[in-house]
Order: sequence, then C-alpha cells, then structure tokens
Amino acid sequence: MSYYLQFVIVGLASGSIYALIALGYTMVYGIIELINFAHGDIFMIGMMVAITFLDLLHVTDKNPPTGFALVGILAAAFLVAMLACAIVGVVTERIAYRPLRNANRLAPLISAIGVSLILEDLGKLWKGLNYISFPQIFPNVFYSIGGVQIAAVDLFAIVVAVVLMIGLQWFITYTRMGRAMRAVAQDREAAALMGVNVNQVISITFFVGAGLAGAASIIYGLKFGSTIYYIGFQLGLIAFTAAVLGGIGNLVGAMLGGLIIGLVQSFSVLIPDSLAPHSHGFGLPLGGAAWMLAIIFAILILILVFRPSGLLGQNVPDKV
Amino acid sequence: MSASSPWSLDRSTRALLWKWGLVLLVPVLVYTFLWQGDSVVNAAFLGLANPNNSTYAVATPGNMVQALIFSALFYLLVTALSGYLLAVDSGRHSFAPVWVDVVLYAVVPILLIALTNDLVIGIALSAVAWGAYFLVRAIARRRFNRFPPAVAPADPPAPIANAELRRRAIFGSVSFGVVLALIWIVVDIVFYVSGVFPSLLLLTILLPVRTVLLVVGSYFMGHFAARVAQNFTVEAYARRNKRREAKGLKALRPQRAQLTPNDNPLRSSGARVIFMAALLAFVLLYPALDSFLFSYGTGGRLAGYGDAGYYVILALGLNIVVGFAGLLDLGYVAFFAIGAYAWAIVGSSQFGQLFNIFLSNSVASGLFWPMLLGAALLAAFFGVVLGLPTLRLRGDYLAIVTLGFGEIVPIVALNLRQITNGANGLVGVHSPGFFGLAWNVTTPVPYYYLILALIGFTIFAAIRLRDSRLGRAWVAIREDEIAAASSGINLRNTKLLAFGAGAFFSGFAGAYHGAKLGVISPDVFSYGDSIIFLAMVVIGGLGSIPGVIVGALAVYSLYVLILGQLDTMAAVPHTFMYNFHTTIIHIIPGFTFGNIRNLTFGVLLILIMIFRPEGLIPSARRKRELHENLDEQEPDVLGSLDVTFADPAFEAEVRVE
Repeated sequence: MSYYLQFVIVGLASGSIYALIALGYTMVYGIIELINFAHGDIFMIGMMVAITFLDLLHVTDKNPPTGFALVGILAAAFLVAMLACAIVGVVTERIAYRPLRNANRLAPLISAIGVSLILEDLGKLWKGLNYISFPQIFPNVFYSIGGVQIAAVDLFAIVVAVVLMIGLQWFITYTRMGRAMRAVAQDREAAALMGVNVNQVISITFFVGAGLAGAASIIYGLKFGSTIYYIGFQLGLIAFTAAVLGGIGNLVGAMLGGLIIGLVQSFSVLIPDSLAPHSHGFGLPLGGAAWMLAIIFAILILILVFRPSGLLGQNVPDKV
Repeated sequence: MSASSPWSLDRSTRALLWKWGLVLLVPVLVYTFLWQGDSVVNAAFLGLANPNNSTYAVATPGNMVQALIFSALFYLLVTALSGYLLAVDSGRHSFAPVWVDVVLYAVVPILLIALTNDLVIGIALSAVAWGAYFLVRAIARRRFNRFPPAVAPADPPAPIANAELRRRAIFGSVSFGVVLALIWIVVDIVFYVSGVFPSLLLLTILLPVRTVLLVVGSYFMGHFAARVAQNFTVEAYARRNKRREAKGLKALRPQRAQLTPNDNPLRSSGARVIFMAALLAFVLLYPALDSFLFSYGTGGRLAGYGDAGYYVILALGLNIVVGFAGLLDLGYVAFFAIGAYAWAIVGSSQFGQLFNIFLSNSVASGLFWPMLLGAALLAAFFGVVLGLPTLRLRGDYLAIVTLGFGEIVPIVALNLRQITNGANGLVGVHSPGFFGLAWNVTTPVPYYYLILALIGFTIFAAIRLRDSRLGRAWVAIREDEIAAASSGINLRNTKLLAFGAGAFFSGFAGAYHGAKLGVISPDVFSYGDSIIFLAMVVIGGLGSIPGVIVGALAVYSLYVLILGQLDTMAAVPHTFMYNFHTTIIHIIPGFTFGNIRNLTFGVLLILIMIFRPEGLIPSARRKRELHENLDEQEPDVLGSLDVTFADPAFEAEVRVE
C-alpha cells in the first residue's frame, strides 16, 4: 500500500502543474469560448524567462542558495515568471484575439494556432533547439512518511498549487473583479449593459490565467529540471484534457481534472509491457510509459463522447 | 454595324480592338522577350536543326519537339483569346479593372518567375503580391470609404448575332496574330543587325515558318474562338436546355458571368476554357519545357514538384472535411500516415515478414496500382472510425479530438513494432512499376506524371462531390447543423462520409509518398504537418478548389523552398543576405531562416484571419458569409429608421389609420 502512496504523491505533484495550466484554459474558455492553443506555449515562455532570470542572478546547480536567500529567490522567480506570462497573455489577446471576437468560430482558433507557432519559434530562437536545464535549486530533501520516500519538491508543488487555487477561488468569489468575470462568462451583453468593462475583464482574465501558467512553469522547472521549445504543446494538450475532464468553464473542475490526470499519468507507468517475458502478454506493448499520451487522449475522447460537460459541469442542452 | 465589307467595323468595335490588343500584347511580349518565350522557340528549333552540334542540342529531340508544340499552342491560344475577348465584350465597362486583372494575374507572376528563376517560388511570391494587393485595397477602401457598387446593372447587354460574333472573333484573332508576328520580325531584325543572332538558320527558316503559322493559325483560331463564344449565348443555353428536358434532366440556369456577350469577358466562362487549355498544355508538357525555361537542375525541380503535388492532394482532401463540411480536422496527418504505412507494409520486405509470402520485386512493384486504391480505402476506413467519436462535438472540441488522433497515430506506429518496425521504420519501399518493368528511379519524370494524374483525379472527384447532393448536404451541416437535421439530412452519415472522403485522398498521397521516398518511419509525420495542411486550406480559401490548390503550392514553397533558399543565399559571403544574416546573429544567436519557418507561418495565419479570412481565392459563398458582419459592401442600415418615407418598403410596413 505504501508503495502506491509514492505514485499518489508524485501524481498529485505533476497533477498540480496540470491543474494550474488547466485553470488558464478553463478561464479563457469560460469567458470567450475560445480554446487558447497558445496557452501551453505561454507556459514554455515563462520557463525560459525564469531560466534567464536565474542566470542573471548567477544562481546555478553548483552553488544553490539556502535559507532566506532561497525563499527570496524562489519568490522572485515566481513573480518574474508569472508577470512575464501574464504580459504575454494580455498582449496575445489584444493582438490576435480581440479583432476576431465577433468573427465566426474558426477564425480565433486558427489565430490561436498562429500564436502558438510564433511563440514556439520565439522559444527556439531564444534558447536554441536542445534541452535547456533549469537550475535545480530546490533542496533535494526526502521525507520519510510511513515508510515511503516523499520528495520535498513534490510537497512544495502541491502546497503552492493549493495556495494559488484557494487564492483564485477567493478572487473569483469575493472580489468585484471576480464577480465581473463571472458575469461576463455568463452573458457578455448583459454584463456590458450592467456597466462592466468587458474588454478590461477579458484582459484581466488572460492576465490571471497566464500568470497561473507562469507559476506552473516554475514548479515544473524545479521538479523536472529541463525544458525545450516544444514542451508547451504536449503539456498544453494534457492540461486541456484535464480542463475538459473537470468540466470546461468550471474552475474547481479544472483543479480536480488536473489532479486526476496527474494520478493517471503517474499510475500508467505500472502497466506492464506485453512484449516482455514476465508479463505473459498482459498489458500494452512497450509498457504503459510509452502509451501515456495515448491513454490521456483516450480519456479525452471518452469524456467528450459520454459526458461532454465533464465531471463537474452541468449538462447544458443544445439550444437552437 | 456596316455590312459593306467584312473588315469594316464600327468605332466601338475598333476601340475594343485597341483595348484587348494592348491588354493581351503586354503579357505576351513580357513572356516572349523579357522572359524565355523567344529563346525556347529558338533553342528548340536550333537543337532540332543541328542534332549533332552539342552546343545546340541541350535536350533530347523528344523534349525539343514538345517545347515547340507548347510554344505553338501557347501563341495560337493567345490569338484565340484575343478574338474571343473582342467578340464577347459588351463594351459597357471601363478599362481599369481589366488592366488590374491582367497586370496582377498575368504580368506579375511572369516577372516574378523570371526574376527568381524558379516556377514555384515565383508563383508563391505572386500569391504574396496578390495578398498584399488585396490587403492594401481593403485598407484603402475602408479608409476612403469607397466601396465597389454592390448591385450590377439590371439589364443584360444586347445579344450579338452569331455571324457578327464570328466576324469580330476572326478580326480580333487575325489582327493580334499579325501584330505579334510583325513585332517578332522587327525584334529579330534588330537582334540580327546588332549581331546577337546565333545563326542564320533562324532568320531564313524559323522566321517565315513562325510568321505563316501565326497569321494562318490565327484565322482558324478566330473560328475556334467564335465557336467558344457561340456556345455561351442565350440561344445556345436554350437549345441545350431543350435537349436536357427531353432527357428528363434539370434545366441549366447560366449566370451573367457565363453568358455571351459579357461585361467582364476576362472572367467569363469562355475565357476560362481557353485559360484551362493553355494551363493543361503547360502542365502536361512541363518536363520537357523545364530545361528550356530554367536551365540547370531539372531533375531536382521535378522531384520537388512531385512533393508539392502530394501536398496539393492532401490539401484537396482536407478541403473536403474542413472546407465543404466545416469539420475542423487538426489531425489529418494521421490518415496520411496510415496511407503511407499501408503501401510501405505491402511494398517492402515487411510483407514477407508479416505474412510469410515473399514477393519478387516486379510483383511488389506492380502491386502499387491496386494498393493505391487499397491505401485510400484503408485511410477512408480509419477516417470513418476516427470520425465516430466526434459526431456530437462542436468546432473547438472536434479540433482538439482530431488533434489527439493526429498525435496518437504516430505513437501507435512507433509502438506497434511487430507491424510497423517501430522507430527504425520501413526501408526499401518499392517504386511503382508495371509487371516486370519497374520505373527507372534516376529520373523523376514518371513520378511527375503520376502525381499529375492523381491530382487530376482528385480535382475531378472534389468538383463532382461538391456539386452533388452529398456536397450540398455538407454545406448545410456546415452552416447550421440543427436546421440541416430538421431538413432531413442524416447528420451521422453525412459527417462520416465527409471524414471518409477526405481521408480517401490522403491515402493516395500517402501511398505516393511512400513509393517516392522509399523510407517510412514515424518521424516522417508530426503534428506540425497537420497545421501546415490546415494552413494550406485556410490560406488558399476554405471550400474553394482552385484556392486550395494555390494555397497548397504557396504554403509548400514558403515552408520548404523559399526559406531554404534564403539560407543558401545567406551562406554566400559579401552578399546582402550574408550581411543581413551576420548582423542578426549578433542579436539572436540561433537565427537561421529555416528556424523562423513557424514564426512566419504564425504571423501569416494571424494576418489572414484578421484581414482576409476567406483566403486568397475564396469561393463566392464563403466571401459573402465571412463579410456579412462587416459593412464592406453597403453602409450601415439600422432598420426601418433609415428608410425614407417614400420608399415602398417603408410604406408597406407602416399603415396610417
């Protein structure tokens, strides 16, 4: 049992990364009904910004900071990455999505694909074609709980994600701007009639959503340690699956979906390799790890076919 | 119109003669003297006349004969066009739009092709020029608030008698032919006098032959043009409809653009017949022409065009799914991969490994032809299978799910090592061949003709599909699913047929690619390719078949050729490109032109979506759809408040008691 607890913790940690990115997807979809293909690439840009920032501060694996310096540097890295991602998000909304707000459904989607291509190439130009390492400055400490080794960075990831999600939920529920966002998501014209500045609200939505992706990027960097220009695409797709799983447009759903997908990913490693002798043909060829992406997409397709509103969404009938 | 002499025409007809004569002369002269038209004829003739002289015999006799045939056809067709345009023009509209059309669509491409010395890059740059022109025109229109009149003149032009059509056509053709021959003679004499002439043979034999051919041929071409013009008159349609009704078919209702006489004859159906004939001649005779038009590197170019060709087929297939049926498919590369693997498995040693049946080389090669159909059917089957889960999904979700499939299929190909040989891929895939006669793989010419045949078939199939009942059902579900379902369209079957039909053509492309490349492995296909295919369809014009073809060629050349060329140019020191490159490297270390491919693509996609979402060559329906929200065609009409009191529409609504 404790063996599986390890997988649970690791799954929750990567799940919290997916949850933070999924929140960005779901917020944008909830408010302008657009799947922001570029969101994963904003995440990638956040990581590159963070790497450059840490480079400027001469923070490397060799001499990691400790104590208060570590806390300060981590906080600064979070702030810088979140701000950079937020700015990129707002800029892309302004340039690529706002002119197309009243166009037919296809146009902003293709525009989003265009933005994604641009960001990927910017990443390629900035940091090159190969993997770039993120400074592993988080102390490599393991806690022993119930006979299981739990990495401190995993706990850190979960804690930071939970704090941010609680913060977001508070922002949406109890502040004026949060109420405005919910209003615009519900009915854009009525909100405008009620005096809500729709353009500003949408920009702030992009700001917050992309900022969360920035936080996710730092956690990812600390946990996995490397990045490359095309990482945004795959992670974005997985996070989108998480958002759909939880119910697109639903914030708690995105968080839940992210955690579930993280657990699925973590446990898929356990599927045996049907080609290996000891498995007696049971399992998938080359083992679960090679099929992880396929498994996640299979989940996406199953959800969309059988319960398109997701786990926590309501079944809204198609109105004529 | 005086009937005293067959050559006397009234003033308006003479004005038309000047108009069309000049308009057509400009591109023809540009082609002949600014570019290679002249030298093609000269080189081919000299080569044939001096078969043993190596300076002249740059190509095989067969190629030279083809080049001469093409040149003859080209000039004769231009004289036919001249006669046709003169006969058919109603004379009611001004010169300016005609000039714009000719310069934009004829002169600019020829100049660009001549400048870049490459056909595909030239056409792609022309597409860019067209895009720039449309953009500037749209901005200028919005800025100065001047829109073209939305309503055409209500009354059709007066009909012209068949005899008059024939007179004008012959007059137009012969005048043009004579003028062209005279100009050519003058230029030849100028060259001879200035000593540039390569051989006296040209002057003594070629010149008279050419002149006689032009003058006499233009007379017969005038008759041909008259026949074309007479086919599109109101009486001709009436006769055709009577015959159709006798057979129980529906009557045809021609549009203004199809009739003779015509307000915009350059865009009429008759002119299109002549354009298509010229294009067909060019495309069919191209392998022979290439060595005359572009000197070195014919083999490489033809191989490249073969590649561009299968992109065209893929774009046409995707056009069926995205353009006709409106189902946004972002994973089209999956079907392409399935088609390629289908042929690769059958046509390589993998077949023996899997089924223990070992085929000889010639049998395996011969199997390509049935496997073309087999790969297409297999891809269509998977199209239906992968379309099944998407039936209830709307646009965005459909896109993501198809994207997922586009990702899953390469993963499956990678992991199912027994069948697909995993990451190593399948090598030694056979080229096509008839039983016992495998293709000579050192020349790409057979592949060129194969892809032409496939493209021709695909275009034909796409047009027939579009104009069929199924095609109309696709348009209906694209516009409004619920209304379509209420009208009795079976949503499930129609959507699945769309996926299947679209995937069918990708099977052709896949089998062709497998045979040509010889090696198929999972890294041949990637997600980025799906985006490229979608970009081809979108940039070209969703749902419009010529648009998609042009879009495919433009995107292919941008993606594969142009940026690669720029990199090659930047490697040569002391050129502008080289300096430009070194300056940028200081700021951005990783910069190469190949690296910014996706960047230019992304910018292009965004610009097109914002400024011209209907694409380069839109279908008329699409253009209306996409601009109905913007007040491009008419000023804002706020409703009955804007209608004046005396207007019958207003009066009909308001009743004063």
